[in-house]
Amino acid sequence: MNEKNCLLSFIDFRLRLSSKLNITFLLMFFVINMFAQEKTVSGKIIDGNSGEPLMGVNVIVKGTSNGVSSGFNGDYVIHNASPDDVLVFSFLGFETKEVAVEGETEINLAMEPATNALEELVIVGYGKKKKRNLTGSIASIDSEEISQSALNDPVSILQGRAAGVQVISNSGAPGGGMTIRVRGNSSLNSGNTPLYVIDGVPIESSELSTLNGSENHGLNPLAAINPGDIESIEILKDAASTAIYGSRAANGVVMITTKRGSAGAARVNLNVSTGVSEITRKLSVLNASQYREVIVDSYRNMENPIEVTWAVIDSLNPRNNGDIDWQEELYQIAPQYKVDLSVNGGSENMRYAWSSSFLDQDGIILASNYQRVTSRLNVDFDISEKVTVGQSISYTNGVNNRINAAGTGNTSLVRELLVRPPSYSMYLPDGSLNGYQWGRRNPVGLAEQATHINKTNRVIGNQYLEYDIIEGLRFRTNVSLDYLSMKEDEFFPSTLDYREGYNEGAVRSINNLTWANENYITYDRQFGDHNFSSLLGLSIQNWKYERTGLDGMFFPSDNIRTLNAAGTISNQEVNITTEHSMLSYFGRVSYDYMERYLLEFNLRADGSSRFGRDKRFGYFPSASAGWRFSDEFFMNDLEFLNDSKLRFSVGQTGNEAIGNYTSQGEFSVGTNYLDMSGAAPSVMPNSGLTWETTTQYNAGIDIALFNNRILFTADAYLKETNDLLYNVPIPRTTGFNYITQNIGSIENKGLEFLLTSHNIDKEFRWNTSLNVSLNRNKVVDLPDNLLTNGYIQNGRYHILQEGMPIGIFYGWKFEGVYARDEDNVNGVTNGALGREFQGGDPIWNDLNNDNIIDEDDRQIIGNAQPDFFGGISNDFHYRNFSLNIFFQYSYGGDIYSEINHQRNSVVSYNNLSTDALDRWRNQGDVTNFPRPLRDDPMQSDSRIQSRWVEDGSYIKLKNVNLQYNVPPSLIERLGLNTLEAYVTASNLITWTNYTGYDPDVNSYSGLRAGVDEGSFPQSRTVIFGLNFGF
Amino acid sequence: MKNIKKFIVVLILFQAYSCSEEILEKDPQSSFSAQGFYKTTADARAGVNGIYDALQSAMRINFSFWGEGRADAVDTRHSGDPLALKQNNLTQTINSASWNNLYEVISRANYAIKYIPSVFEEENDFSRQLIGQARALRALSYFYAVRVWGDVPLITEPYESVEQDFFVERTGKEMVLDQIEADLIYASENARESNGGDGDRILFTQGGADALLTHVYMWRQKYGDAIASAERVMNNDLYSLVSITNWNNIFSSGYSNETIFEVGYNETQTNSLRVLYALGSDSHYFPSESFRNSFEEGDLRETLIYDVTEEEPRKIWKFFGEGFNDESPDPSGNNIVLLRLADIILLKAEAHNALGETAEALQLLNRIRERAGLPEIDEQEAVNLYGDLESAILHERLIELSFEGHRWFDLVRTGRAIDVMNPINGLSDEGNLVWPIHEDAFNRNPNLEQNLFYR
Repeated sequence: MNEKNCLLSFIDFRLRLSSKLNITFLLMFFVINMFAQEKTVSGKIIDGNSGEPLMGVNVIVKGTSNGVSSGFNGDYVIHNASPDDVLVFSFLGFETKEVAVEGETEINLAMEPATNALEELVIVGYGKKKKRNLTGSIASIDSEEISQSALNDPVSILQGRAAGVQVISNSGAPGGGMTIRVRGNSSLNSGNTPLYVIDGVPIESSELSTLNGSENHGLNPLAAINPGDIESIEILKDAASTAIYGSRAANGVVMITTKRGSAGAARVNLNVSTGVSEITRKLSVLNASQYREVIVDSYRNMENPIEVTWAVIDSLNPRNNGDIDWQEELYQIAPQYKVDLSVNGGSENMRYAWSSSFLDQDGIILASNYQRVTSRLNVDFDISEKVTVGQSISYTNGVNNRINAAGTGNTSLVRELLVRPPSYSMYLPDGSLNGYQWGRRNPVGLAEQATHINKTNRVIGNQYLEYDIIEGLRFRTNVSLDYLSMKEDEFFPSTLDYREGYNEGAVRSINNLTWANENYITYDRQFGDHNFSSLLGLSIQNWKYERTGLDGMFFPSDNIRTLNAAGTISNQEVNITTEHSMLSYFGRVSYDYMERYLLEFNLRADGSSRFGRDKRFGYFPSASAGWRFSDEFFMNDLEFLNDSKLRFSVGQTGNEAIGNYTSQGEFSVGTNYLDMSGAAPSVMPNSGLTWETTTQYNAGIDIALFNNRILFTADAYLKETNDLLYNVPIPRTTGFNYITQNIGSIENKGLEFLLTSHNIDKEFRWNTSLNVSLNRNKVVDLPDNLLTNGYIQNGRYHILQEGMPIGIFYGWKFEGVYARDEDNVNGVTNGALGREFQGGDPIWNDLNNDNIIDEDDRQIIGNAQPDFFGGISNDFHYRNFSLNIFFQYSYGGDIYSEINHQRNSVVSYNNLSTDALDRWRNQGDVTNFPRPLRDDPMQSDSRIQSRWVEDGSYIKLKNVNLQYNVPPSLIERLGLNTLEAYVTASNLITWTNYTGYDPDVNSYSGLRAGVDEGSFPQSRTVIFGLNFGF
Repeated sequence: MKNIKKFIVVLILFQAYSCSEEILEKDPQSSFSAQGFYKTTADARAGVNGIYDALQSAMRINFSFWGEGRADAVDTRHSGDPLALKQNNLTQTINSASWNNLYEVISRANYAIKYIPSVFEEENDFSRQLIGQARALRALSYFYAVRVWGDVPLITEPYESVEQDFFVERTGKEMVLDQIEADLIYASENARESNGGDGDRILFTQGGADALLTHVYMWRQKYGDAIASAERVMNNDLYSLVSITNWNNIFSSGYSNETIFEVGYNETQTNSLRVLYALGSDSHYFPSESFRNSFEEGDLRETLIYDVTEEEPRKIWKFFGEGFNDESPDPSGNNIVLLRLADIILLKAEAHNALGETAEALQLLNRIRERAGLPEIDEQEAVNLYGDLESAILHERLIELSFEGHRWFDLVRTGRAIDVMNPINGLSDEGNLVWPIHEDAFNRNPNLEQNLFYR
């Protein structure tokens, strides 16, 4: 039987089940209606602190779904309440209260603000749990923090707000990529991204875009999710929390919960905002005459000087008579608009939350824009006393008009706008754009004339049925799908090329469908002071990826950019399909005694099609325990101590992030010889591939002091990852570049602190929240046969070495510049046979003191991993005003600034930074800027060197949000219930020594951390908005 | 009772999944698993085409860096490989020190040679023809490798398992050359006589194998064998000298009757010929002064090779046609001619001369001179003009085969490299005649040793 049949038989079974149940339920409704009594209760609800009426409080008859919500003056009227009923009043941010009706017809209530955050529920894998009873380590972010940030995607919100979660921007472009690490890199492969689960649906979170120009990273796949829809985000960090997700959980799990409806009249919310962004700073560049002088110098400094090419110095040539700071031409003040509309409510047996949003955001670089429409409907139906069904469905349409911002090629805009010589003219005498000149494309032309559009449609849907079989025993089944269709178009017109009529276009169409079916039963039971709860389930998931695309060239006109016009089809990728599936069984048992002693066990078994048949199933267990010592009798005297608990956990999780068919090896088609179709081996097989396994230990403490005004959480963890999946470089004599193997191990250990304090709690309220995370990463073991020189080269800038962290830079250490020839007293030479270094050449650290600068003098010149990072948030409330000030920081990580290298490289005729004005010119000049040299015989330019390593520490005033709630008396006439006006500024000020655009930068996702090759810069944004409640 | 039923219902649900584990069987749909590829004769053919695909990459610029870059016919102003080679500043980071592309050809050939027999029920002409091509391509790659680096790892089995030895040491070059000979003899006997049409030029035929074999024998100074294999080429009806008026077309149009083997390129599978030679103001290479001064009066090829009217010619138009002028560093779609009849004729002349068969040598030399519009010469004239007959033949090769990637190997194989290049760039050490092995190769293989000169 194949999987389709499996699913079909299952659906078929479900249909039969539900039709049978329906009859029962119809009968039940009938009975309930027969015996219902007519009685009405009404009243007024106020805020116990301020005395203001409270609007939108849920009032429900306990044990039923009969409920309403309070109106504008805090008034409510509830029908069908019998004298024996109990009314439940609940409202976000307030303590839930239960009041027995006892025959009353009027019940007025003052609600008390909730101060005990520990009573809140948090989302865990396949369920919810009281925060105070957690035995694992989970960070959570609520909707208030999300709305304060005014950010447009859920990942950037996590930056600085969750302990143990490091978020780095790959790109400042709208919808641009992010790197997120939960408790460090636990894998050598690129699979370091956490698993994302939205309302129980594991979604596709890998980058699917294939046309990224010369960029190393592309888009943020989670940009499709509107933060306005999110109720909370939980990040599961330790193995006790994540093991229930087994083989995909080694990098943590991000659980996103969207807002659902509650019973009561419809509440309509309209949030309109507009804002502007600008570049945070510009970098210094030379003007045309300064540039020409450097180039002339660079020729003169050659050992056998040759004539300076006219192409650079001829200032009368119309191609060459410009004087342009390209930054001025490319960076713009970029507007953005956003509208969010939501309606939320419900009736006796049904609750809904509907929302829709529109975003139109320009990038700070010319001609970049992102537009997104999202729509969501979450509904829940109680079809009987025992059965609830529901559906969540969201649709997103995104159009990202991109530019090639990052990367190293000459189509990379950020690099071009910094290094394109200022002397190159913008226009030619005939008025046309000077689109291409000596290997450089015009960045303005690249932005305005080249096409680079990504259109995405995404539907994430989830249907569930919950059935209370007997008391405490509940069955739930989910069918979910995540469908993503993406179309990408790229076109380079001939105006940007040196070749007459040479233009290129490409198109890709991608379909990605992930479906999952999960079924589980839970059983919760209380025996006196003993609480048991258990879970047993199975899950099946399938991923299918299809891509079709064409590359073409020689279009007859730049105006027809579709591939049908291409004169030559240069590459075809038709119906490339890959597939992957997973079958899993999972279970959990938890027990506690009086919530004082807590225990939990998890186990998941995962089978994946990616691994060899014999190694297909992996088992991922975890165990955790908690001890609420504050409940012990000997702690009773400590009255200031409200709650304190110790937590311990241990468990294993896995990582299966390799290619779908890597273990089998691959023969690729398309290696054609002229028009004769060819095939060639492209992936070397390794039938023994299996999971990476991460074992994690966690110990934590939660303390609540002084009437819960101070909450403190600390965690210490140790994560050991073994059987690392790694693309091990092998000698090219094999015909292959690398082979994927399970090798070696990595360790991450760290500390996380979270402190929340209600400093002042009067009419003026002041809360502070502070988090600090430390992570120490270490490569523990690499197989000896891979360590040709004691390390593995990891891309251009990094190595992997035992005992050292991932992300160390390796190269030559720059120690200044020889002021004069005689200063090279030891006659140090470049290589055994090379020339002696002379005045104006860099002084390299001669590690082995052999007076020869060669490969053996390379050393570790930096480490991209920060010492610690985190955020500090302060909330102030006074009457109708509230103010949030949020700082985010990272300390101690280095950046390899390849962009600064490019900005000082004469070898490529690049424009230089104004540092070059201090260059070495004559014998005796004392400077740190070496003499420019056209042909680089001493490899001053080409070496990976500490000259480009900078301290990337920073602290940012990341977010300031000022909000004013207009008093009800002023807006009543407008028919409004609430009106909030707010201003949010992000990225306002950055304190750093880094000399590039922004220290929050990462040109490569994955392991090659801390490299700045010129990413789309971060922007400073100010947004003004109004939030109307009807 | 009711509850038990419900439990059963749930159990059935779980049961539905025991069909299950088959869903974990997923084979590639848009490619093939490595061992599952070779199944049909079409696969066998595609596998061989894939080897040529790798050869396109291997030759696209390196045929010139390896064969001309260190020799006297070219001059350059370009940093990077061109200057490093010309000034004899070879380092282990220059691009032409990398053998990756050659071993890609070899790896694909090894897969084809191992798996093609399994496609056919029994060995037949067709399977042998395909294997013949694969072995000729492997031989061509190894022949470049031994000429460029000397000893190189000799690998003749495909890599399919982690159990195999990745870290192969360098094999003595004579052993590699023995393997090359064996491969070429197989190809000479089993490849097709003719593939028909363009296939006679861009795919290996028996004639192609014989021509390459001639080169190998000359490299090993096996003159008798060289004469025999060259004889087979010259008796092959597929090849004839074109007239001088069509001489440029050998390169600009390709597929000429004179070509024995050329690597095919087109608009999308491009090479760097134009960047190397013909980019109007700024090509990698231009004809050196000594080259320009070495033409005999009345040599019709001179104006076909470069613009004699320019005082300092900055381009070579041999490959694109007389008068070619282009400012664009376009990748080019011209085929790259690796083996042609004139080349083999002159090699045969050299072999005869080495064996003291002067008359035969002169006759062959004069065939080429004649086409170039030059008068016949006898031994005395050769001595007067060039010092000796071997020098005369090598000079003829210098002009006739200029920039086609032969000059450096001619100098090395005849022991003249140091004499010729010392005045130009100070080349003085025999150990310097090979390239250094690229540092990337060391980073990946601890069992490699650098060539002595470069340690």
